[in-house]
Amino acid sequence: MKPAVSIIFSTVSSGAGLGLLALVALCDTFVLVAAGLASSVLHLANPKNAWRSFSRFKSSWLSREAVFAAALFPVSGLYIVLVIQSKGGASRILLAVLTCALAWAVLICTAMIYASLKPIRQWHTRWTPVNYVLLGHWSGALLLWAIACAYAARSGPFLFVAGVFGLAALAAKLAYWHAIEDSTQALTLERAIGVREGARGPGPISAAHARLLDVGHSHGTFLTSEFGFRLARRHARGLRGVALALGFGLPLAWLVVGVPRWQPALAAAVCCIMGLLVERWLFFAEAKHTVRLYHGDPRT
Amino acid sequence: MKLGLVIDLDTCVGCHACATACKEWNASSKVNGALSDYEPFGAEPSGVWFNRVRHYEVGDYPENKTINFPVCCMHCADADCVTVCPTGASYKRDDGIVLVDQDKCMGCNLCAWACPYGARELDQVPGTMKKCTLCVDRIYDEMLAPEDRQPACVLACPTHARMFGDFDDPQSEVSRVTAERGGFGLLPELGYAPVSRYLPPRQPQPVIDADDARALLERGLASLASPVIRR
Ligand code: SF4
Ligand code: SF4
Repeated sequence: MKPAVSIIFSTVSSGAGLGLLALVALCDTFVLVAAGLASSVLHLANPKNAWRSFSRFKSSWLSREAVFAAALFPVSGLYIVLVIQSKGGASRILLAVLTCALAWAVLICTAMIYASLKPIRQWHTRWTPVNYVLLGHWSGALLLWAIACAYAARSGPFLFVAGVFGLAALAAKLAYWHAIEDSTQALTLERAIGVREGARGPGPISAAHARLLDVGHSHGTFLTSEFGFRLARRHARGLRGVALALGFGLPLAWLVVGVPRWQPALAAAVCCIMGLLVERWLFFAEAKHTVRLYHGDPRT
Repeated sequence: MKLGLVIDLDTCVGCHACATACKEWNASSKVNGALSDYEPFGAEPSGVWFNRVRHYEVGDYPENKTINFPVCCMHCADADCVTVCPTGASYKRDDGIVLVDQDKCMGCNLCAWACPYGARELDQVPGTMKKCTLCVDRIYDEMLAPEDRQPACVLACPTHARMFGDFDDPQSEVSRVTAERGGFGLLPELGYAPVSRYLPPRQPQPVIDADDARALLERGLASLASPVIRR
């Protein structure tokens, strides 16, 4: 899949923001979430119809994401105002619960947009939502720790929460990469055009191998630009290393050092988000849509 | 009703007549609006097509064969392209045809991601999604002669490799030929229940090498000669 900058930025940034929001509400990053979601509107080819995306809540994960995100803004905005003014009481608790629930809902819907796509094996796995939720909470928890270092009396519990999410997110990411390496689930060019080994008589074509002779177009098409992105394995490995080092290694190491000063804590959070941008880029670049089989790729 | 196409991989010669006839008809159709071309006379021409023909080689020499493979929307019974659409622009009609309402689409591309066959293409000019309409503006048009109420691709095919009809009717040509020839749908494992069917190429005759040919010839000559000699 072609890694579109606007989507990568939107999922990572709103992920971090949503994770942070959920955590703040449980115990804001309005700007992060807003920037993320505005960026996803930029991705539309015909944004004047964006308002219609609220209309298919019953069937479409993208529609659900839009509805929950639209509800999150006023609710979390009000909640932040109450937090800043240190007012509230019961209504503040109610708003906290609502904000947290909505933030989780948006995160899960975003993940399910990808996880529900059957033609993309690397996305259609249960590790996709697990990754989105945990990575969002991990980067959000780091930001929260940085804020706690600056304002809270005790930052220790925040450090602990960040550490737990960091380890869980790391485990989820490694499990995801392990899962997509399992090529027994891969579809082949032969299956895509109905060639079955040993088939005889009526029914699918018989023969063991198939290859593309001619793709039928002289220059690129919508399909090649949308699905044709290729990433050499060697580069993928290098970039996974970068994502691991920036997204997990350095920030986790800093948690172990644990000096409760907001400047290095913020640097750790920014470093983590950089790593997650690389991770999200890979999530797209490593995904192979079945259309590529028709364009001659031997397997997905 | 379950309208769809049958594509005969045995007779398709890969001439792209269906694809060009489709482009010609739909470029001036009101259902989707024009099908934009990008740099049509430039060095790198490209554009929106509903039907694309690709060419494969299956099997290994000498048992190999070229297969010409046209692909357009299968009007799936279980079409995820419709389910994922957040605006309701993508919809499935009672007769089985899957369409995009151009006035509602916001161009998010999600339906194109959800289609396993690459049957949907975004038109960059209006920023909306376009796809095969099964020539919904031909097949019900009573101004046309009955034999012309078929998709443009079916009418254009010089080898009759394309047929159109209702798969819900067991007596229709498409149902009968699918049953006779073992027509199959693409990637059934993904669960979209594609309606259109492909007819596999007929089995090739075994290839005879030079030694086999000589033995056959000798046997043939002997059987011809023997009654003469016996007499
Ligand atoms: S072939 Fe693709 S576009 Fe057509 S109905 Fe099936 S999933 Fe939708
Ligand atoms: S591109 Fe248009 S038709 Fe496709 S899912 Fe988005 S809004 Fe629906």
